[in-house]
Amino acid sequence: MTTQGYPAQGPVRVSRELAPWLRIWAIARRHAYVLYRSPHRLFDVTVWPIVDTVLFGSLGVYFVRQGGPSSPGQAGIAYLLSGIVLWHVVYQAQIAVSTGFMEETWSRNLLTLMVTPLRELELVAGIAVFGLAKLIMGVGVVALAAFALYAFDVTTLGLGLLPVIAILLLGGWTIALVVIGLILRFGNGAEALAWGIMFVVMPLGGVFYPVEALPGFIRPVSALLPTTHAFAAGRELIDGGPMPWGQLALASAGTLVAAAGALAFVAWMLRLFRRRGYVTRYS
Amino acid sequence: MSDVLRARGLLKTYRRGRAVDGVDLTVRRGERVALLGPNGAGKTTTLLMCLGVVEPDGGTVEIAGHRLPRGRSAAMARVGFAAGYLPLPERLRVGEFLRMFGQLYGLADPDTQAMRGLERFGIPHLAKAMGTELSSGQKTLIGIVKSTMHDPELLVLDEPTASLDPDVAMRVRTGLAALCEERGTALLVTSHDMVEVERIAQRVVFLSAGRVVADGPPLEVAARFGREDLEEVFLHLASERQASEHTEGLRP
Repeated sequence: MTTQGYPAQGPVRVSRELAPWLRIWAIARRHAYVLYRSPHRLFDVTVWPIVDTVLFGSLGVYFVRQGGPSSPGQAGIAYLLSGIVLWHVVYQAQIAVSTGFMEETWSRNLLTLMVTPLRELELVAGIAVFGLAKLIMGVGVVALAAFALYAFDVTTLGLGLLPVIAILLLGGWTIALVVIGLILRFGNGAEALAWGIMFVVMPLGGVFYPVEALPGFIRPVSALLPTTHAFAAGRELIDGGPMPWGQLALASAGTLVAAAGALAFVAWMLRLFRRRGYVTRYS
Repeated sequence: MSDVLRARGLLKTYRRGRAVDGVDLTVRRGERVALLGPNGAGKTTTLLMCLGVVEPDGGTVEIAGHRLPRGRSAAMARVGFAAGYLPLPERLRVGEFLRMFGQLYGLADPDTQAMRGLERFGIPHLAKAMGTELSSGQKTLIGIVKSTMHDPELLVLDEPTASLDPDVAMRVRTGLAALCEERGTALLVTSHDMVEVERIAQRVVFLSAGRVVADGPPLEVAARFGREDLEEVFLHLASERQASEHTEGLRP
């Protein structure tokens, strides 16, 4: 071990403007290594999407066969398959960010990260940036499986799909922020919510059917969820209608309000986390 | 000598009671300070408040002129932190881990700094090792390399040599002392090894029941308590603490 060799000048640093982007990049890269070295985590972006496609695609095929070629089931199979493709936008965006944050708690890396210049939003942004890569993989697998197994081409929905995907992406990140807030407050015991919360949102969020299909007492809750209107917009596109601006506007406004609420919630939980010294749970 | 860390009147109360009760702590540029005290004295809470990880109920913390919590990010760019009890992330090689932290600290060439740090502590051969392949002593050394590679103004080490063999611990102490001398880095260290503290620290701050009960050079502090060395001071404070807890327990 040498005790000399400390250069007279300190190390060269990037500019103040560049530093936040470098920190976000560092986090994204760290999570890329985690996926690369944990092949079992590919389950979420390969096997699960195929299972979902086969499940809902086959369900659709069965109903079509039951009802004959002129039955409304013909549209139903398209609803189911487009629903599952779009659902995986929400699911993959949410799971990638939630589990990315949990990775830092599982590896007891949270305290070490908190004693660096990294800001909380940069941590989430870094995880979300890498999460986009996982999302592209996951949604790509669903779309390819739907095409290969059921000849359903999601791109036939046209450019109208892009705003729907953008809204659902933000919706997934919003749910992830709520999950992170709960983990900050309740510790890793709350991690079951990362997966569990999606099974609540799925039936309520109008993924495969309109609000009217739900039992009456649940409808107001479903109508309040922004995803309900985004998926409704997706179905209007399948039906060949014009760009569903009304549904898109409702979904956008609702998602923005929900995202603002989730940000406020996670900021509140973070303050509580610092005030009560919960970081010692992870050290 | 300018202050790198200045904490004033720190207060913290948890449900179980007051953990820190009006602690003042100053560390000057190039100074080597040890924060000591028996279990439950408030060391970790004080350290975490100084690092901006735990919010104090009262008091202020300033690092290199940046007031927490507002200036936390800028302050942390000037701080290095390592703890003997913190693991390395499992799915990273040592070089990748150091590059990540170099980038978090805004280094333009983190790989070169990482290699310099590894060479400085005599472990360049570990650059390609996975975190899971390292011994606890090697992990501690990597943590120290991580915490020094960005040339911090304040280096905070929590139990840094707890898992090291005596010869490696001695080399770490020598390396840290050289860093403080040559770069003017201030060192704030906690340890339960009083012999080590006497060797590395120029000043010790003793905490007991969340309060500073002594602050000064190791020998002076020992003399103030009428003891031979810091170990005896430590044992004295620990027994006082136990006695007071016992008395409180007997109260109706």
